[in-house]
Amino acid sequence: MRALWRSAIIVALCSVGAPGLASSAAAQGLPGAETVYASAPPRLLQIRTLLADAGRQTSTGSGFLVSADGLAITNYHVVSDAALEPKTYRLEYTGADGTQGAVTLLAVDLPNDLALVRVDKQEAPFFAFDKAALDGTLPKGERLYSLGNPLDLGFTIIEGTYNGLVEHSYNDHIHFTGALNPGMSGGPAVNAQGQVVGVNVATRRGGQLISFLVPARFAAALLARGREAKPAAGDLRKDVIAQLASWRGALYKSLAEEGFRDRVFGSYQAPETRSAWFECWASTNAGASPKPRASINATSCKAEASVYVASDLNTGVVEVNHSYAKSIDLNQFQFATVLTQLAQPRLTMGGSFRKWYTPQHCHEDFVGVTPAAEHPPLRVMWCAQGYREFDGLYDIALVAVTQDRADEALVSRLNLQAIAYDDALRIGKSFLERLQVAR
Amino acid sequence: MIWIEILSKHRDVAGRFRVDAAEIHIGRGYDNHVILDDPYVAARHVRIFRDAEGRLVAEDLGSANGLYLGASKSRKPQLVLDGAEPIRIGQTLLRVRDAAHAVEPERLAGSERGALPIIAAIVLGAVLLAINAILVWFGQTSEPRASDYLVPTLTMIGVVVAWVGVWALLSRLFSGRAHFLRHLLIAEAGLVAFWIYSELAQVASFALTWTTIFTYGYAVAWIVLATICFLHLREVGRTHMVVKGIVVGVLLVVAIAVQTLQRSEAFANSGRPNVTHVLMPPSLRLAPVRSEQAFIDDVARLKAKLDADRAELKPAVEP
Repeated sequence: MRALWRSAIIVALCSVGAPGLASSAAAQGLPGAETVYASAPPRLLQIRTLLADAGRQTSTGSGFLVSADGLAITNYHVVSDAALEPKTYRLEYTGADGTQGAVTLLAVDLPNDLALVRVDKQEAPFFAFDKAALDGTLPKGERLYSLGNPLDLGFTIIEGTYNGLVEHSYNDHIHFTGALNPGMSGGPAVNAQGQVVGVNVATRRGGQLISFLVPARFAAALLARGREAKPAAGDLRKDVIAQLASWRGALYKSLAEEGFRDRVFGSYQAPETRSAWFECWASTNAGASPKPRASINATSCKAEASVYVASDLNTGVVEVNHSYAKSIDLNQFQFATVLTQLAQPRLTMGGSFRKWYTPQHCHEDFVGVTPAAEHPPLRVMWCAQGYREFDGLYDIALVAVTQDRADEALVSRLNLQAIAYDDALRIGKSFLERLQVAR
Repeated sequence: MIWIEILSKHRDVAGRFRVDAAEIHIGRGYDNHVILDDPYVAARHVRIFRDAEGRLVAEDLGSANGLYLGASKSRKPQLVLDGAEPIRIGQTLLRVRDAAHAVEPERLAGSERGALPIIAAIVLGAVLLAINAILVWFGQTSEPRASDYLVPTLTMIGVVVAWVGVWALLSRLFSGRAHFLRHLLIAEAGLVAFWIYSELAQVASFALTWTTIFTYGYAVAWIVLATICFLHLREVGRTHMVVKGIVVGVLLVVAIAVQTLQRSEAFANSGRPNVTHVLMPPSLRLAPVRSEQAFIDDVARLKAKLDADRAELKPAVEP
């Protein structure tokens, strides 16, 4: 323990006592956080959202310059208020070098949570993108430095490691092992040479140092696409909606193309998606106390495919859930009560419901898929609600309960958020067709 | 022989005087046959005599406040009396009856009343307890506990007894008899009717897929409540039945309207229809299974509703 302390102090003494060595160390390929940070201030920004009337900040994030003429990258969620409500909110920046000024929003990339803005700086130094990161050839374990202004406390630099792309995720995210904090969103994560590898975006609650970056190639693509953009008021809002619709369309197309595989649950077999971006967990009530009177074994596959649209709207979850229930000593009415509790369709409710969704409509019926020998009769509930502002997007909850036995049943649930209605009908139909009696 | 009866405001007999005279004088003075201690009555207020046809007639003797029939507001110098409707002088109601006045036939004493109502009350009570116990039993999906049965049963008994007790008390106050058994029968019948409806509604929503049956369940509850209130009021007193009917009807309409409004506002707020998707044992299914394509066509039609809602709710585009 004492040795560890001593070495920590030595490192501190070295870096404080020998500032002149920093640049030579960089040249020798042994740079530290200090050298990386030393060149950052003129290119690093804090981006603040202000109430247009009051002129006070309501939220802060970070950003970084990517061109000499004042183009900068940040997160969409840092500027979303200004993108959606340009009359109520405006943006300002404060540079790490103390400069201040107005920020103009040029373009957004909703699925990847990025935004391109222009600040009034000319011939300023800027961050370049790391070639290996753009090609996706960065080795795991590479040291990265994340920059930003956490909690409005002042600009900081955080050391961490690159750990490849996050698995089971529809959108590509870099797994960064380092302590990101609110306010650092939109800041760059750079390699030892100060080249951008990713953009700070999120952390995992309940994890230790588990943070996520948007890969640099999306930022480079947004820069190429948005450089000449001159959006009029209201255009960005329309663009956000259009991007949401086309991104969801592609996601559900890929879900349908990758298709389902069958999995056996007791006397039934049910579809499970083949898509790699689903994460599946099983649960059982076998160990519950008091001893359960019906055994319930559930498998839940959920896609990490939700996206930040506005401060009160995250949407895009896709979930497939099968619960196989079998009565232990319940009579058939009691067992039906258990199934009733398991089978209620769940759509988003409460809170911001009124702002974003139209009222829910449900339909339920007995459905028999042919041939009847292979498919149990089903009780199917279909509930849907639309998005008030996103034409053509709906949230769908489909629940099917097998109806061939009084003492066992499979409750299958499909939740599709932000989906086109026809896509939902198609996926729902093939889902029902795959609910079968086990062979 | 003539009987003069002084009636209370509720027309109960407060005093009764027998007078054997051809002409009877009534007033506040001591030279009358019947003396009234009512400051609004004249010293000699009215006289009662038989006319040429033998009918009893009341005649105002020139009082300041006059002579009226029953609750009527028109002053009369003279009134022919029928022994049923009282006359009013000052603030006093008087009924004048001949000795030959016909009375109602004798009522049967309680012990000779049929045992049927008692049996009916016991049977209905048993049905209620049984339904309650079955519902608790069917809803029991974890460890069975005695309190699951006892709490709702005792609560129900307590509520019914309190409800019936209040009505019996009202009966006792206004008609002199508590009629506890009749009120009990009314309350039990109402509860049984409501429970049968709600259970049938659950079965129908599953077996026949009549899911909307729940939507109007609250209206049925109010109608049952209004009906039993009306029957209770009828037992309290059989007078003014039309007024009672109208009052109960108006309260019923108000209650249903207010709850409908409240529910539609709650729906607009939460967006969630007030429907439980009930599942029952598959053997109860009555509706035929629909083909998959027919179901998909049905749910495809929901899109039009959702789009209509969206068109209505979409925020106005800013200029």
